[in-house]
Amino acid sequence: MTEAMGYVIVGAVLFALGLIGFLTRRNLIVIFLSTEVMFQGVVVNAAAFARFHHHLEGQAYALFLLVIAAVEAGLALGLVMLLYRRKDTLDADAWSQMRG
Amino acid sequence: MTSTTGYVLYLVFALGAAGLYYLLPRTGASKTAIGATLGVSALVGLFVLLGAHGSAQRRDEVYFYLFAATAILAAVRVITHPKPVYSAIYFVAVVIAVAALLLLQEAEFLAVALVIIYAGAILVTYLFVIMLAQQPGSPIYDRRTREPFLAVVVGFVLMAMIAGRAGELPARAAEKAILADGGRNPASTASLLTGNTMAIGAAVTTKYVVALELSGVLLLISMVGAIALSRKQITSDVIRSPRRTLGQIGKEVEPF
Repeated sequence: MTEAMGYVIVGAVLFALGLIGFLTRRNLIVIFLSTEVMFQGVVVNAAAFARFHHHLEGQAYALFLLVIAAVEAGLALGLVMLLYRRKDTLDADAWSQMRG
Repeated sequence: MTSTTGYVLYLVFALGAAGLYYLLPRTGASKTAIGATLGVSALVGLFVLLGAHGSAQRRDEVYFYLFAATAILAAVRVITHPKPVYSAIYFVAVVIAVAALLLLQEAEFLAVALVIIYAGAILVTYLFVIMLAQQPGSPIYDRRTREPFLAVVVGFVLMAMIAGRAGELPARAAEKAILADGGRNPASTASLLTGNTMAIGAAVTTKYVVALELSGVLLLISMVGAIALSRKQITSDVIRSPRRTLGQIGKEVEPF
């Protein structure tokens, strides 16, 4: 085993846990928290491969990932507040009328 | 990794999937004890497998297991806790543990940036929204989940596939890369004259300068978007009505 293997597995576990949370939870805020957990998995992976390949590109990539996470959090929470004011609930199923 | 350990690894992930299925919030009798037992045994099994395949005993190995376990357990609590406030607090634990894992990989600047941006900025925003949109008691949508079985199967299949392939990473690639670079390893802080922060700063402001400028534009756009999303709606008759004198508008227009 290489040293990166453990980190890659931890990153995969964090990403998949976030995915499960995203799919199962019905609270809009917890859904977006789950995407942040997925981001953490990607950051761990990016840093692990930066070390594995011995260059800094993975770390620089993870830095831009933090920017995307901040942008996503700002927009998503604005959207959550908008939806909460419309229907007075955080239930994602309240917005399922577009389901086919 | 031999095929036998591969199957053991898949078995460990199946155990973890069963544990997480019981841990997810559900109506009716709570099965948290079964879920916690299965989940913790799966985590221990994963670490035993990783330890059995460890090459040499590394100095920081115990820290890796400590912070990996913290990150995974806290992430499980984020997605299983019925109260969103507690989910957010457990997410702070995930961030701290991931920052420690980054420190172990000599990504010092990234670790500090992660704590400042996530625990300092993003989490505060989340907590604000949770407080603003708090519902009294424990609403039904926090106590029931949507398709827990299918989601757990999908997530753990993804996990097992990535983990099964991670064992095939070539062990020799790293040494070759260092030799090709004249014995210098830019990803290791000890081999840098200036330290990790300066090296990242140099990379971001030279090689990735376009991406840096674009991310600034992206942040500005998201700020404009968030303001546009969260502004209050003004009906058209308020806008079209004739100009009022000072102090008149409060008497005629209903507060929003």
